[in-house]
Amino acid sequence: MRLRASQLTKNFGHRTIVKDATLSVNPGEVVTIFGPNGAGKTTLIKILATLLKPTSGKLEIEGTDAIEDCSGVRRMLGVVIHETLAYPAFSPYENLKFFGQMYGVKQLEHRATRLLAEVGLQRFAHEPLHIFSRGMTQRFMVARALLHRPSVLLLDEPFSGLDASAKQFVLGRIAQEQQDGKAIIVTTHNTELGYLVGTTFFFMINGELEKVAQRDEITAERLLLMYEAEMQSNLSV
Amino acid sequence: MIKKAFRQIGALIRKDLGLQFRSKGTLVLVFVFSVLVVLIFAFAFGPIFPEKVERSKLAASVLWAAFVFAGIITLNRSFAVERSHGALHGIRLTGVDVSNLYLSKVISNVVFLFLLEIVITPITLQFLDLLDVVTMGILLKLLGVLSIGTLGFCAVGVLLAGMSTSTSGGESLLSVILLPLVIPIIMGGAKCTVSLLVTGGLADRFWLYLLIGCSLIFLAAAYLLADAVIEE
Repeated sequence: MRLRASQLTKNFGHRTIVKDATLSVNPGEVVTIFGPNGAGKTTLIKILATLLKPTSGKLEIEGTDAIEDCSGVRRMLGVVIHETLAYPAFSPYENLKFFGQMYGVKQLEHRATRLLAEVGLQRFAHEPLHIFSRGMTQRFMVARALLHRPSVLLLDEPFSGLDASAKQFVLGRIAQEQQDGKAIIVTTHNTELGYLVGTTFFFMINGELEKVAQRDEITAERLLLMYEAEMQSNLSV
Repeated sequence: MIKKAFRQIGALIRKDLGLQFRSKGTLVLVFVFSVLVVLIFAFAFGPIFPEKVERSKLAASVLWAAFVFAGIITLNRSFAVERSHGALHGIRLTGVDVSNLYLSKVISNVVFLFLLEIVITPITLQFLDLLDVVTMGILLKLLGVLSIGTLGFCAVGVLLAGMSTSTSGGESLLSVILLPLVIPIIMGGAKCTVSLLVTGGLADRFWLYLLIGCSLIFLAAAYLLADAVIEE
């Protein structure tokens, strides 16, 4: 098991943002977490990425206690969140080179050049990041997350704000990384894309994480109906 | 392990200085601000002090006032650039030891401010009619004192900037919490500066020892606290 989280809870003051979240991800598995805005998905991803400490609960990554030894497990994680996690004044190449040095990536220049070509940014490799569109930035963020060959990928809303071709790119890349044996967690509110990419589905509503089904147990239409029903019942409450 | 730490600190310093000199925003701001402070003091008080001793005291005040405020601007900018697009999260995700991150920030800020001091110190001395009475030896000693003070200032300043920039109103918060803490450094530095400009030496070693002692204590204490403060 690459990642195992049990009963993770996060409180901000008196508000509970994540309540007793429990999930695990195996190599080659893609867990998709569906939820509306404000459901706690980003907070959960930040906890799994060790960027936020949970109020309570346990988190193990590759068998290591990620709460006690967070710096030890961080190198195993590739993370895409709403922020670029990089320097907008630097070009994609400079950013990858800097973060590669921090990770200790071997043959760094070759790796950075190759990754930028793979995500379709080779023409813009030396342009500053702050001039990039949302889609180009997302491509860079994917390259940055894959730079050090992590075994676990945490992707928070990787499709949001992207055009059709950029969405196809992200979908294809996730599938490729899944085949390479990475454990992947994707959060999204887009059931169509989330179904296409996932192997195991969860709903997250009001901070509560609930396992729904494996992909072979449910159709996309049924998943959408269940998600809408869940949202309706939540609204009526 | 040590080699890895040096590699990471080196990469972080190169990145910090690269960002500072590329954007030029902070560079221009602190330079203009420091020159402005020097000009205001020089034109307001300069001609009424015919005695070298008085002008030396004024020069020490001007230099330390300019560097303290330039330092606060630099420290705030230094962490603002890390927080604005989550780059600090990106660095944390590399698994870097937070103490190494802290050390690199101290070194890059000291280098940046020291370069500013190299430019501003002769300008200040010139405006206060002291440049022609200060030898190269005294100027080097003066820069030495300023660099020790800058180290102590940045040692505690980086830690507090790391903490304050994550809060709302962090820029003003840094001034409020940093200035009381660095009073011993400013006192020691200003006294040493006056002594150097008046006598050409450091007759009373107490102020030099205070400056060095406080700088080292701040550096050691902040290094040990960095993990808890910046990680949180």
